[in-house]
Amino acid sequence: MKEIPEKCVSCGIKLTGVGGVRFPCPSCGTIIARCNKCKQQSNTYTCKSCGFGGP
Amino acid sequence: MVEDDVITVEGEYETLIPIDEYLAAGVHIGTQQKTSDMMNYIYRVRTDGLYVLDVQSTDKRIRLAGKFLANYEPSKILVVSARQYGQRPATMFAKTIGAKANVGRFIPNTLTNPAFAGFIEPDVLMTTDPSGDAQAVNEAVDAGIPVVALCDTNNMISNVDLVIPTNNKGRKALTLIYWLLARQVLRERNEEDRFRYTVSDFEMEF
Repeated sequence: MKEIPEKCVSCGIKLTGVGGVRFPCPSCGTIIARCNKCKQQSNTYTCKSCGFGGP
Repeated sequence: MVEDDVITVEGEYETLIPIDEYLAAGVHIGTQQKTSDMMNYIYRVRTDGLYVLDVQSTDKRIRLAGKFLANYEPSKILVVSARQYGQRPATMFAKTIGAKANVGRFIPNTLTNPAFAGFIEPDVLMTTDPSGDAQAVNEAVDAGIPVVALCDTNNMISNVDLVIPTNNKGRKALTLIYWLLARQVLRERNEEDRFRYTVSDFEMEF
């Protein structure tokens, strides 16, 4: 079973409330979590498995 | 097309289609404005002030977006386009990959209000322009679904999870990008033999 991350991959905060999102890494498929603030501020994220940088 | 539009691709990287086809469709042509969010995708600025996008990064992102969208169930993908030139490409893209299309005005509550007759619950949102489709993007944030967006040099990428840097204003550019993306999604699903469309099938008519 795939582990579902609970913390934002950019800032490390625990995902709570509305606005956070989890999606598979476009490159390797590992689940990535982003919090609402990092999304809103368009903070970059990096996949921990393959190093893909987004958005 | 002015002479200084030509971009050479260094190294061995092989693009999905010849670079000349990208350039002919004007995929690399940006605007006279740039945002800090899109700086990474800008190749250079022309003498007339237009920012030029890096075609190689566009090509790479189309591959990634195809792989990304192929992870989702086709009927759970929503494609939106308020922009007129993107409406037919978006509709054809949705038809090809089996997704839902919402073109023209995006009616508020479509993703957030279960009492609304047109309420749907997609797993991923594909937008033509994050500023033009702001209502859809905001509702996707509330619904907690990822957003893939075609972004030009003047777009902010707030609330976007995967950027495809491209000219999102040109008729031919939008046509080519959606055609390539549809082909790529089917390739990732090993259904490429089902793809029988030409670029002109995706083009918006006047």
